[in-house]
Amino acid sequence: MSTKRERDRIELLQGTLDLLILRTLRLGPAHGHAIAKAIEHGSDRVLAVEQGSLYPALHRLIKRGWISFDDGTSENNRRAKFYCLTAKGRKQLEIETSKWDRLAHAIGRILRPAPQE
Amino acid sequence: MDDRRWFGSRRRWALDDLDRDIREHIEQEVQDNIERGMAAEEARRQAMLAFGNVTLIKEDTRRVWVWAWLDEARQDLRYAARTLRKSGAFAIAAAATLSLVIAANTTMFSVLHAVLFRPLPYRTPEQLAMLWTEDPTQNLREGRSALWNVEQWRSQAQSVNDLGVFDAMSTTMTESDGTERINGASMSPNLLPLLGVEPIRGRSFSTDEVDQRRQSEVLISHAFWQAHFGGSTDAVGATLVLNGVSSQIVGVLPAGFRIATLAADVWMPRTLSGGRARPAGPEPETWFVVARLRPGFTFAQAQAEMTAIAVRLNDHMPAAERKRGITVVPLTLHVVGSESRQALWMLAAAVLCVFLIAAANVASLSLARSVARAREMAVRVALGASAGRIVRQLLTESMLLATVSGLIGILLAAAGIRLVHAFGPANLARLNEATLDVRALGSAVAISLLAGVLVGLAPAMTTLRRDPRLSAEEGGRSVMGGAAARRIRSALVVAEFALAIIVLVAAGLLVRSWWQVKSIDPGFETDRVLMMELSSPATFNIAAQRIDLYQRALERIRAVPGVESAGIIGDIFIGNSREQVITIEGNDGTAPERLRLTRDEVSADFFKTLGTPLLRGRFFSIADGPDAPQVAIINEVMARRAWPMRDPVGKRFKLGPRDSDRPWYTVVGVVGDMHRQGLEREPIAQAFESLSQASPRSVDLFIRTTSDDPLTIAAAVRAAVRQVDKDVAIYGVAPLEERFGFYLAQRWFQTILLTGFAIVALLISTVGIYGLIQYSIATRTQEIGLRIAIGAQAGDILRMIISEGLRLTLIGLAVGLVGAWWLARAGSSLLFGVTGTDPLTFIGVSLLLTLVAAAACYFPARRAMRVDPIVALRVT
Repeated sequence: MSTKRERDRIELLQGTLDLLILRTLRLGPAHGHAIAKAIEHGSDRVLAVEQGSLYPALHRLIKRGWISFDDGTSENNRRAKFYCLTAKGRKQLEIETSKWDRLAHAIGRILRPAPQE
Repeated sequence: MDDRRWFGSRRRWALDDLDRDIREHIEQEVQDNIERGMAAEEARRQAMLAFGNVTLIKEDTRRVWVWAWLDEARQDLRYAARTLRKSGAFAIAAAATLSLVIAANTTMFSVLHAVLFRPLPYRTPEQLAMLWTEDPTQNLREGRSALWNVEQWRSQAQSVNDLGVFDAMSTTMTESDGTERINGASMSPNLLPLLGVEPIRGRSFSTDEVDQRRQSEVLISHAFWQAHFGGSTDAVGATLVLNGVSSQIVGVLPAGFRIATLAADVWMPRTLSGGRARPAGPEPETWFVVARLRPGFTFAQAQAEMTAIAVRLNDHMPAAERKRGITVVPLTLHVVGSESRQALWMLAAAVLCVFLIAAANVASLSLARSVARAREMAVRVALGASAGRIVRQLLTESMLLATVSGLIGILLAAAGIRLVHAFGPANLARLNEATLDVRALGSAVAISLLAGVLVGLAPAMTTLRRDPRLSAEEGGRSVMGGAAARRIRSALVVAEFALAIIVLVAAGLLVRSWWQVKSIDPGFETDRVLMMELSSPATFNIAAQRIDLYQRALERIRAVPGVESAGIIGDIFIGNSREQVITIEGNDGTAPERLRLTRDEVSADFFKTLGTPLLRGRFFSIADGPDAPQVAIINEVMARRAWPMRDPVGKRFKLGPRDSDRPWYTVVGVVGDMHRQGLEREPIAQAFESLSQASPRSVDLFIRTTSDDPLTIAAAVRAAVRQVDKDVAIYGVAPLEERFGFYLAQRWFQTILLTGFAIVALLISTVGIYGLIQYSIATRTQEIGLRIAIGAQAGDILRMIISEGLRLTLIGLAVGLVGAWWLARAGSSLLFGVTGTDPLTFIGVSLLLTLVAAAACYFPARRAMRVDPIVALRVT
């Protein structure tokens, strides 16, 4: 873990964590640590998630009914909660993803305007 | 509902294993780190770093759920309870103080509600008024009115819908086992419909039957119905023998029914028949008058119209009586007079003052605690608690304190209301209807909440302003927070003293008034005198029978051991004094033709028994028998009014107009004035005739005893009277002192209560300044040590501390005295014999307060003098 890498990390935008969790869970049920790892690896360690902040987000998603959970057994052979996407969550993921695309596109246009023709 | 339960359980389920999940999460991270080649310890440290603040995250996670705030509240509550339990002395002192003042305020509120706020139990009571005859020449403001006048008012007044009359009537009831006196009264048959009151059984008086039948109708009170008929429906239609006449019960009145303040066991009808000509002479009978105004008319409009009517009617009056007016008084104001209202408001204000003082004191204490707890707060902030969270925590603590105090306060208030029922003045209308009802409970809740906010606010605010990190670095000594807290506490102490001096001045003025009243010579001696009331048997219809009865009873009583003397008067108490028409022989215009006069029959020894001095002439004697010329003894007021500047002995007067056939009385003696209407009212003219020449059916009997407790011979006297005639009704046996105490009851009640409040206010504010000075010394130990080290003498330190305390006292005093001066002017009608700006009272209570405050500063200051400079300076 080089210090340079640490410095290059980007603070997660407000609300995007929810989206990333939903995206991660589309691949199948996972427990908290696995989700955190998946986000970190998936972003090639660019995104910094204070792993703990995952938990309020998970509970927010449970409350909205986008994910649910079940007791399972972790790699260490200990009991842990496994979170999985609900049908509602799947639909929400689509909405959020398209929203994100539009947002990224819009911001990109402003930051790098297309060359004038 | 179902949804919500499911929701709630899901939340619990999700949160239940949060700890385990987080632990597991961190364990896995540690595992990963070790696999990456870190040492075990470093691996754990990195894992914790990556995870973040566990406590905060747990809290955030919980907060996700809707009910999170409740969780926090519960947490705060649990924490508050623990903190309060740990700080035993503070919690107990604070809860005790607050619960007492909450109880006092709740009690006061229920009294105010019962007496002042509740509407009278009639239909649209705000339209009801009392109408009085007023005569400035007689100093008569609220006099009763003759029926002829009432009929004139009724037919002429546009603003008045209807008028009714009522009055108490001396009534006896005869049953198989003897005769007893009961509370009787009569009213015009239209009065119940006018008030909008329906009997709960039977019917009201009929308004269209012939007079003859109406005379024998009677309505009974709810209490009488319960006592004599056990609440049976058979009561309606039953017959009672009242004043020797048999009367049929036509209905039962609702519980607690009274007209204005008059309650009675039985009510008889008295007809108001229209169209009668003005009687030749002034009518002897006068009545209380109740009017219902037409909707849309104000009392002021009614008053204006009645004044005009009075002017018109005066044209029909004899020249000497053309100054008469009519006074319109709203019924609510009549039932609870303005003086009682003021007294109640004053007491309520005093209770509120005491409450504020107590709350300020508890706030001051908790402020001192909050400074001591600055370190605790700093640690909590460092652990991630927001300022809002801490303020909420502090407010939770004070709210918990206030809630506990409120609960205890409500229990105490229940006892307080009982005390008010037991010791409250009996002549304060509706006082006994005070209960701990929903409204009173509501007021208790409100006052408790207020206490919670007041107590919690100051510490919370200083916490917000204080920089918590600073405190932590200073190891929690927190000099800055201490200074701010001390400023606020000083302000609180000033406020406490200002409020205390107001209550003290009010109490001082009332105590002075009490002494003034007590120093009035009542004109008779009440100690060692036993009083009882006698009613002669209903069959004693001839005066001679009654004269004989009273004479023999007096003889028997005098023979009872322990009796010094005994006397009789018709009725010692003067109720609503009436005017009488009087003819004075040889009246050359200097004496009035009408006089506020009471006339009583007295036995020969009456004045001797009561110790009333004879000023001129003689008392009655055996010679003043039934066949001798009619004689009278008069009091000083009557002597002065009827025979100004002349000796009345030997002069003659008669009741009624010049041409009446009533007998002439020759004045044989003049006695001192007796305050028979209470000490605070000027005696009115009183004339006494000999009991041997006029014998009422019922009398008041007085026995002067040799014992300090006159009740000890009550049984012997009762037996002596029964020996004369077993059918004599005896009631109202009590020491005269107690019976006359009635007149002073309200003044005594308000004086003693206010004095109590003042003492409490003084004590609490003294504790307040004591605590502040103590605290101020504790925070300034080093400064004091330094001063001593550089040569300050013990006396200098003492002076410094005491002057600090006195400065606050004097500021409070100055502010409070202004308030007290202003309030005393507003409430000056409650005073007697002193003005609202009585310098003696103002100076006296100021000195008292200053002395007590100085003493409160002295004791902690003496400890400060003994500060060892070495110890004090080493602490740094």
